[in-house]
Amino acid sequence: MTDAAYVQRILNGDADAFTQLVDRYYERCARFAVRMLGNRDDAEDALQATFLRAYRSLGRYQERDRFSAWLYRILVNQCRSLASRRGQREKVFIREEAALLNAPDKSRGWAGEEEELVQRILAELDPLLREAFVLKYVDELSYEEMSAATGVGVSALKMRVKRACDRLRARWEYIKND
Amino acid sequence: MKNSLIRSGIVAATLIAGATLLGAQDVRDRSGDPLGKLDPQTRYAVELMLDSAKLAGLPYGPLESKALEGISKRASGRDILVAVRRVLRTLRDARSALGPLASADELTAAAGALRVGISGAELTHLASVRDGKMSLTVPLIVLSDLVTRGVPRDTASLTINQLLRGGAADDDFLGLWRSVERDIVSGTDPGVALLNRVRQLPPRVQAGPPAAGVRPPEEAKS
Amino acid sequence: MTDEFDSLDANVRWIATEARRPVPVDADARARLLEAVRREPVPTSAIPIMAWLTEPRGFSLPPFATAALAAGLVGIGVLGGLLLNRDGRRAEQSAVAVVHPQLPDSAAAHSVKFVLIAPQASKVSVVGDFNGWDAGATPMSSRSADGTWTVFVPLQPGLHTYSFVLDGSHFVPDPAAPMAPDDGFGHRNSVVLVRKPAT
Repeated sequence: MTDAAYVQRILNGDADAFTQLVDRYYERCARFAVRMLGNRDDAEDALQATFLRAYRSLGRYQERDRFSAWLYRILVNQCRSLASRRGQREKVFIREEAALLNAPDKSRGWAGEEEELVQRILAELDPLLREAFVLKYVDELSYEEMSAATGVGVSALKMRVKRACDRLRARWEYIKND
Repeated sequence: MKNSLIRSGIVAATLIAGATLLGAQDVRDRSGDPLGKLDPQTRYAVELMLDSAKLAGLPYGPLESKALEGISKRASGRDILVAVRRVLRTLRDARSALGPLASADELTAAAGALRVGISGAELTHLASVRDGKMSLTVPLIVLSDLVTRGVPRDTASLTINQLLRGGAADDDFLGLWRSVERDIVSGTDPGVALLNRVRQLPPRVQAGPPAAGVRPPEEAKS
Repeated sequence: MTDEFDSLDANVRWIATEARRPVPVDADARARLLEAVRREPVPTSAIPIMAWLTEPRGFSLPPFATAALAAGLVGIGVLGGLLLNRDGRRAEQSAVAVVHPQLPDSAAAHSVKFVLIAPQASKVSVVGDFNGWDAGATPMSSRSADGTWTVFVPLQPGLHTYSFVLDGSHFVPDPAAPMAPDDGFGHRNSVVLVRKPAT
């Protein structure tokens, strides 16, 4: 069943159909939230807020917007709001200091460590660059979808993605040269 | 307070008469890569902050300049990082206080004021008094300088506020600064020096009514 | 899209691949969400039912503001650094947000004279944001033995931070100029404001 069909059922009174939509999108959204916010607790708060907001706004969802793009828009905004409210810019692990002091060691092997490593590297990026990179190469949205989700123009997003990639590439250079 | 250094160049020169000459490192970088002198980790961290400045629409020149200054002054990577971050943070705060239309110079001057303890709320208040008619750069520079020289913050802030409301121009502020600085260097109490010299300004400029209750503006609700 | 991914730097591709791993989802959190949803009033369509019967037109890219309204997102704070133009209209958002240039139309440099009396120094230069704080870039000259060092430097209109360097390593502020805040390295700098010529 298409997303739109589920929405239609919900609006017709079948509230349980929302569960299906949640099932379809929860993991994807959770991954985005964790990559952006850096910790599970904040991510869960953002997810909660996102899906509740989506549910309440279903009446205003119009089919000309693809549902996933519409949902991502809410998700992106919720993550931004939460990050701002929690003062994530100046969080305890100050991004630049982390970059300076905690050069990640790629030579270590096991999977759990690698995810933590990647999370740390992503956390070093400016949130707007991180957002663009994650939407593009983790969530695999098209630039048009990213634009709708973030409210930023396509060319600006391309520049952000490129800059994020430059930073990430440089990160490994600096590690190698240590 | 390094009053001896401020007093005159002659004194400053005398102080360094006995200084040992450190090996002069060539910090010039002709390759067009000014940050190239930084160690890779510091450089990366600085670039992260440049990203943030650019994305936030803040002038990034002051950040880059601060890094170069640190190189020239042979500061550690850590100290450079801390200094650059402080520039970023105060520019951000200055932008919050002055609003999106503030010029790069105003932001820099406001960041300086924040550094000497003037609050964001006071800056916002000054901006509203000026009402975008003229630049706040000079009043803020003078304000920061006077506080640095020992004028009590409230005295300095209220005085600048009063002068702004009286329509004081850049030249009025600079003239005031010059005479107050001279007085302080000659030994006058800084706060007293300021109040004395303000009284000597043309009546139109000091005519601004003092702030109601002569209290600093209240903290903006967050 | 896969082309772009494949052409990424190998290390960046590795980062993206790792980042794509699913994150473990807390079953409790999900259950709580669904609980919360059940407590909500069932949403009703604010749009005439006829709209649902139209053929989906495929994804379109409406202007930001319209899309926000259509998606019922009015009221969600969008922290995207929207800029306002001078006249208050919302500016085009760009990756590198524009800082309104405040330099005058004729951004011609003006020659500024720096002076320091330092008879004991054997060499003096001025450093600042205009020369990358490079001690070798702007040496000053002392014409006579009275220890007066001078140099003329072309500076763009605007605010400049600077310092003098004595004998290659001793930083001193300009006694004749307003002071900048503590430089963060244990020294004090000076500021100079170069004014555009009166028109």
